[in-house]
Amino acid sequence: MAAFKQDLFRNLLLGLRARTTEAACPFDAMSLQERKRAIKCSADVAMAAARRGVAGAAIGGRARWPKAILAAAAASSSSHSPGGTCKVRKSACCKRRVARRRVDAKRTIRGYAAAASCDVARRLVRRRTMALRKVIPGGSAAAMDEAALLRETMDYVVHLRAQVDVLRAVSAAVQRSTFLGYIFVLHFVDPMKD
Amino acid sequence: MSSGRRGRISDDEINEFISKLQALLPESSRRRNASRSSASKLLKETCAYIKSLHREVDDLSERLSGLMSTMDNDSPQAEIIRSLLR
Repeated sequence: MAAFKQDLFRNLLLGLRARTTEAACPFDAMSLQERKRAIKCSADVAMAAARRGVAGAAIGGRARWPKAILAAAAASSSSHSPGGTCKVRKSACCKRRVARRRVDAKRTIRGYAAAASCDVARRLVRRRTMALRKVIPGGSAAAMDEAALLRETMDYVVHLRAQVDVLRAVSAAVQRSTFLGYIFVLHFVDPMKD
Repeated sequence: MSSGRRGRISDDEINEFISKLQALLPESSRRRNASRSSASKLLKETCAYIKSLHREVDDLSERLSGLMSTMDNDSPQAEIIRSLLR
């Protein structure tokens, strides 16, 4: 996972650099929200690209979620207006406003606990599976059966955690005004390497 | 790469998934009676965990964005970030 994190970090910086170049807008000149969107989009693309470069040992084959993220990012960049919203978030990132669903599920669980029949349990699993499809990039694809979805989920969770770790480390490095922070950043990226 | 029937997942695969996923989920959500964790509960926890990770990515992106804006433009730090992104 260490190699994956390094690749992710390198991809992140390259992606941010490319983004500021093509947008003809230096990072410091962006608004807070624009910069945040740029960072978040780049982080997702960086994660997907880093995953594609690794042999799919975890799930015995190529994971599908990276392709879904990259496809969504490519689609959004072609319809991208300079300085506009990064659309990849809609498909690659989860929709958080599912409070309604959650409330329904809570009520349903209490009802089902009383019933506890096999058929009911299967229905609940199915509902949960549908919810899971929405947060896994590419999970809604018809071609992904339950078994594939579960394997994708495990693979995605592991690499998503690594993405969080990298972003946390980068935040800490930027925040610290110490020499160690600079060394950390320089260690992972060689601007001449491409 | 075949792995069981298409579409419907077998009980064996579910059990395998349950144990693997329990290992992945954060310590706080592990139940004491782990063996009785139903598939649906596990899926629900997994979904919640993924969403919380997404939120964290969002927060960290926002923090990074903020840090870059409050960085003193003349500091060596800012220059390094700028040179990396040029």
